[in-house]
Amino acid sequence: MKNNNNNLWIGKKDLRVNKEFVENAANEFKDVPPTAQEMAENGSTSLGTTNRRDFLKVLGFGVGAATLAAGCDIPVKKAIPYVVKPEQIVPGVPTYYASSYVRGGDYCAIVVKTREGRPIKIEGNKLSKVTFGGTSARVQAEVLNLYNNNRLKSPKVKKGDKFADISWKDLDKAISTKLTSNTRIVTNTVLSPTKKKVFEDFISKYPNTKVITYDPVSSAAILIANEKSFGKKEIPDYKFDKADVIVSFNADFLGTWISPIEYSKKYVQKRKIKSIENAKMSRHIQVESFMSLTGSNADNRIMVKPSEQGAAIIYLYNEIAKATEGQSVNGLALEGKAKENLSIVAKELLGAKGNSLVVCGNNNIGEQILVNKINDLLGNIGSTVDFTEASYQRQGDEREMAQLVKDMASGRVDTVLFLDANPLYDYSGKKKFKEALAKVKTKVSLGYSLDDTAVACDYLAPVSHSLESWGDAMPKRGHYSLMQPTISTIFDTRQAELSLLKWSVGVDASVEQPYYQYLKNNWKNIFFSEDEIGGFRAFWDKTLKDGVYYSAPESVEVSFVADVASAAAGVSKPGEGFEVSFYETVNVGNGQFAENPWLQEMPNPVDRTAWGNHLQIPIGFDGDKNFVLFNNLEDGDTVEFEVGGAKKEVAVVSTFGQMQGTVALPLGYGRKYAGLVGSNVGVDVNDILADKDGLTQYYLTGVKVSEKVGVDKDFAHVQYHHTLGVTAKDKETGETKNADEAAFPDSFWKDVFGVEGFQGFLTDRTIVFKSNIEELKENVEELKEKRKEFKHLNEQQIYNGYDDVYALGHHWGMQIDTNLCTGCGACTIACMAENNVPIVGKHEVHRHHEMSWLRIDRYFYGELENPNTVYQPMMCQQCDNAPCENVCPVNATNHSSEGLNQMVYNRCIGTRYCANNCPYKVRRFNWLDYTTADIFNDNEPTLFEGQEMATLGDVSGAISDDPLFRMVLNPDVTVRQRGVIEKCSFCVQKLQEGKLNAKKEQRKLRDDDVVTACQASCPTEAIVFGDMNDKESELNKRKESPLNFIVLEETNVRSSVCYTMKVNNRSEEYKS
Amino acid sequence: MSAPVSSIREPLILGHKTYHDITEDLVSPTEKAPPLSWIMVFIPAVALLSLGTFAVYWTIYVGIGTWNLNRTINWGWDITNFVWWIGIGHAGTLISAILLLFRQKWRTGVNRAAEAMTIFAVMCAGLFPMIHMGRIWNAMFIFPYPNTRGSLWVNFNSALLWDVFAISTYFTVSLLFWYTGLVPDLATIRDRAKGLRKKIYSFFALGWTGSAKHWQRWEYLALVLAGLATPLVLSVHTIVSFDFATGIVPGWHTTIFPPYFVAGAVFSGFAMVLTLMLIVRKVLHLEQYITIAHIESMNKVILATGSIVGVAYITELFISWYSGYIYEQAAFFNRAFGVYWWSYFGMMFANVVSPQFFWSRKLRRNVTFTFMLSILINIGMWFERFVIIGTTLARDFLPSSWSYYSPTWIEISIYLGTFGLFFTMFLIFARVAPVVAVAEVKHILKTGGDQYVGEDAVKGH
Repeated sequence: MKNNNNNLWIGKKDLRVNKEFVENAANEFKDVPPTAQEMAENGSTSLGTTNRRDFLKVLGFGVGAATLAAGCDIPVKKAIPYVVKPEQIVPGVPTYYASSYVRGGDYCAIVVKTREGRPIKIEGNKLSKVTFGGTSARVQAEVLNLYNNNRLKSPKVKKGDKFADISWKDLDKAISTKLTSNTRIVTNTVLSPTKKKVFEDFISKYPNTKVITYDPVSSAAILIANEKSFGKKEIPDYKFDKADVIVSFNADFLGTWISPIEYSKKYVQKRKIKSIENAKMSRHIQVESFMSLTGSNADNRIMVKPSEQGAAIIYLYNEIAKATEGQSVNGLALEGKAKENLSIVAKELLGAKGNSLVVCGNNNIGEQILVNKINDLLGNIGSTVDFTEASYQRQGDEREMAQLVKDMASGRVDTVLFLDANPLYDYSGKKKFKEALAKVKTKVSLGYSLDDTAVACDYLAPVSHSLESWGDAMPKRGHYSLMQPTISTIFDTRQAELSLLKWSVGVDASVEQPYYQYLKNNWKNIFFSEDEIGGFRAFWDKTLKDGVYYSAPESVEVSFVADVASAAAGVSKPGEGFEVSFYETVNVGNGQFAENPWLQEMPNPVDRTAWGNHLQIPIGFDGDKNFVLFNNLEDGDTVEFEVGGAKKEVAVVSTFGQMQGTVALPLGYGRKYAGLVGSNVGVDVNDILADKDGLTQYYLTGVKVSEKVGVDKDFAHVQYHHTLGVTAKDKETGETKNADEAAFPDSFWKDVFGVEGFQGFLTDRTIVFKSNIEELKENVEELKEKRKEFKHLNEQQIYNGYDDVYALGHHWGMQIDTNLCTGCGACTIACMAENNVPIVGKHEVHRHHEMSWLRIDRYFYGELENPNTVYQPMMCQQCDNAPCENVCPVNATNHSSEGLNQMVYNRCIGTRYCANNCPYKVRRFNWLDYTTADIFNDNEPTLFEGQEMATLGDVSGAISDDPLFRMVLNPDVTVRQRGVIEKCSFCVQKLQEGKLNAKKEQRKLRDDDVVTACQASCPTEAIVFGDMNDKESELNKRKESPLNFIVLEETNVRSSVCYTMKVNNRSEEYKS
Repeated sequence: MSAPVSSIREPLILGHKTYHDITEDLVSPTEKAPPLSWIMVFIPAVALLSLGTFAVYWTIYVGIGTWNLNRTINWGWDITNFVWWIGIGHAGTLISAILLLFRQKWRTGVNRAAEAMTIFAVMCAGLFPMIHMGRIWNAMFIFPYPNTRGSLWVNFNSALLWDVFAISTYFTVSLLFWYTGLVPDLATIRDRAKGLRKKIYSFFALGWTGSAKHWQRWEYLALVLAGLATPLVLSVHTIVSFDFATGIVPGWHTTIFPPYFVAGAVFSGFAMVLTLMLIVRKVLHLEQYITIAHIESMNKVILATGSIVGVAYITELFISWYSGYIYEQAAFFNRAFGVYWWSYFGMMFANVVSPQFFWSRKLRRNVTFTFMLSILINIGMWFERFVIIGTTLARDFLPSSWSYYSPTWIEISIYLGTFGLFFTMFLIFARVAPVVAVAEVKHILKTGGDQYVGEDAVKGH
């Protein structure tokens, strides 16, 4: 300011004469204020050269600015530092704990990432011999369940219609007095040996207690059939990795059936193409009526109505028995194509004796026994079906529930404890159950959230989340797993085991963590029956660190003893009329996961709809140029769906691979009490399920589906076009034609003028390359030619790469093997968790405003009525000649020297040209204030249009405004404001961490230093990430395969992600 | 003393006007209380403007999510309207600058209103790139201003940045052109006014005295500005077309866009001028200044540019087939027969077929027919921009991401709001300044007045 005028250079004279100026010229920053240290040395207290007037100016401006700023209402967010820093926590450095994910019978060995004491991410535990480091969408989403606002937060007692607060002490006292007479504990499958010990202790104190186990989706028939067949009420170890021919009757083993993470990992071992010359794959045949996730991965599907499954199994059994001199059975006749196809299946199975596997997901004892016998005749028992490491992941038997209903109805039950089970929603006999429950004097919920069962209870003894609890699990014989808390209980909750102990045998009040002690003692008893001092401690510490422990069990051999003739008499009988299948989706299960917004927003991998269950209806072709829609229903129309007097209104979605004459509807939706997220989303069908021999059947016959009755105005469908040129027969010539392309033009042109789509419109798109294994060599050659042509085209362009720019240092890339990808969607949730991807809700998904950085595109190809499927995980391709970058007017998206396409959120002004110009459509715009990060108040959208904001209590309406929900946010990743574009960053925060770790250890970067969230979550290792400049990297090894291609290579965007040609092992012998 | 004008040229000023008559006819509307007809139009215009203002406020407060754009179709009515308004804003400068250089005398009847229209249309157009931004509060990032961020510059490769420069330059030059043209007329009003009015008009007349020196400089300035503006007429829409042509989306990535866009812009601009002038002519009784000859001349330009646009459409189709590139072929197949086929055929009919009627002299000189066609062409040109933006984005490379788009009431309100803005501005303009350039009409009186030229010429003049 004023004093600075001193050293203005005015003329030559100054330069010559003014000594001071000459000196100052060398010292440009002369007037920089002295540091505190300099001031102390000089004994000066004034701030450098500031004089009184300057000081007043600054003061005036400062006060003015502060007044202005204070006038604006900017919400204050508090950040509270540690007063005493915990020893193990270093701010900014994550801590990992090995633990176990257990939800009923679902199991996964996990490693939990915590930051500043908060669990924020779940990864798979690679040491596990059950899940092999893989995860599922449910596992990935479990961390958000910890921060579920529908949690029960403190013990309660019902007074009148409402719940009142009660202290644990009073609750314990109240309940302890009520357990002496007939008590029932209702629970889902219990994997924990120590929890079972707690039950034993409880029963020893209260001998009138019974434990009732059932599963939300039952596999009881397998257990019962195995008991009858082999004397083992267990689920065998299915070795999909050893099977060359896999036949599955309605078993969704890649998605939801028993142990999908394990099965996926094993299944893909024989799906990987290792060499082109001797390409080999297992053949997978799925017998079902609707396109399940597993069916979409199958080579051939045989369409059989749900009620004809029994006839199909009997037919297959007799075919096998004929050839193996087994005892044939009488049974229902099977007609038509299914019969011919099953004869071929029999031939294939007989050709792979001992190396084949037949699995069945039907909850029918007779069918399961016949399948057991088929496996037995094929010599698979002991090879692909092994009881040595039998699975305990399903233990429920709903016949116990039926007995309970009877007991309750007759007043023989005084107290019921619900142990993290929700039978008032997910038990098929829930109407009767509810009536009977009214006669029970004391109902106690040891539940996690205020669910449909908890609201009907008298006492709520809320349990802690598994991430807040001690525990263990034994998912399979010989496989043990520990669960440890990664955060102290957020609310006033107590784990169920501890409650049961307190109410029964009591615990030592002086011990700080009584259940921890109990668990440890129990393990000591199990593994160290002989007292080995010191040995246990080391064992315990190591197991706790590893999370898992394996000790090979003694081998178990079984032989088949059941009576196949009576089994054949018990199979399902063909029904009349329309049939519906009910199935569990990978995201919400049978409602257990309905409170989780990540899982609600994750589209069902097959029908690609979210936020609700939709009736899947068949789609056909008229042989000319129109798709034949069932009842002329468009996607999103609602129909009345009537069965046995019960009517439900539900939206429909046309699904390829749905058998004509059948429909399908997912379970798990329409819960009445599932918090802000899941309440009344979709339609509940558990109340209409029928049963056979006391077992719940997941299909119904004699269903009526009405004409259109309305429209679901917020029908959330993320993919409108599903096919890459499916084919069908022409009605006149009988020749195969491209139905999809013929049907493409708008109906006006098609119907009035007969315009047809042109050849190649969809089929020749350079998005997915696919081949049958028989034609692999030719197709690989063709791909080679095509890629040569693309290269040639790209060389004609002005931009020729500048690849040398990335030759030094790292150049990140990714390879995705679509033959390994089953479409399970674990990666999509992992991505949301890692990168703070916002949840937008049903209405916004309906408007195609979903924010997913990583999506799994699903395309059908081949025959229209029975197509094959390809799943293509699609994220930012990190193009080295990125079309998004050159169109951004403000350089908000630009390229790093490591080949990353970076987004600078602070710079983005939201013109969205980048998103328009992205050929992969992976850029996501923050249309509304999804994260409450902008400066305006009360403009956040709610999850459902018109949802009452008051539902959330003190929260403004957006789920992201909920402080509890916000605890899941990853502090390493910016939360994006409204109005900016965002997209996949290749988890740049993880790359940075990996590079720093390598640097700290002074070594070269290794593959395992840099693992993206999607890669880490994948149960089948379909995704490989790495440095393209590292010749040793796994990525480069994979990239050498001639099956590789780049999506839209000819556009010269120079994508860093490549995909593997999709290969199927479809046999053309089968008739469709 | 009649000027050497071909006898077959039609006179451009009818009714044997004297210089004083011209002043009276053209200046008097600014001096009288507004007639009822003006008020009847002004009230709805302001109402529309208010609606649009609310819609813009709501967009900024709640977010772009109040529009129905989605992850696939990131531009919709916003950019469609932007390009449409910019196109409309083309005629003014074309008439003033290029026709001035070509010494087309008929321009004097329509140039003032056309220039005003240009300015208001560019204002309406400029609104859309502003409000379509996700974070309008950071809009200054788009300017290359010196900063302490190391230094952080804009992306000079981006067509959106070129847009900023092209449109702001065009707006500035158009405004200058319009205003300098107004100065002598403002002085005329000043000379007739009293009191406060006189003071205000004195200020805006910039001390114009009508001296020979003033007139000389004024004419030079007009020429210089015309020289500057002429390339701008071509460049603005060329650069707007780059917003699409520099993209890689099939249907956008074509080299034909610059000439095609410029022709389309002139086409729509002339149509809009006609729409407006036919109303003004009727309401302000200016039939003697804006004659059938004027209308016919404009219709000839419409016929020419409409045919250029038609050739461009057909060339596009040919090239997409000839390219052998399936994405390109698919894009154009989809334009014609896909979900938005009606907008494609609407565009084809309105822009290519309908102007062909102007081959007929009778129709060219039919006021009612011209009026209807001018509106049809404006609708057609709106469809053209929607076809290019909406239809193209809805079906691009990956079928998984295909989507559909229709506007929300907010988007429609903003569009209606720009009409409100446009007409409010134009109506105010018609009250405060002559809608026909008084001085310039007087310039051509001796070569265009019907007492001097044409069949009715009075002998002895």
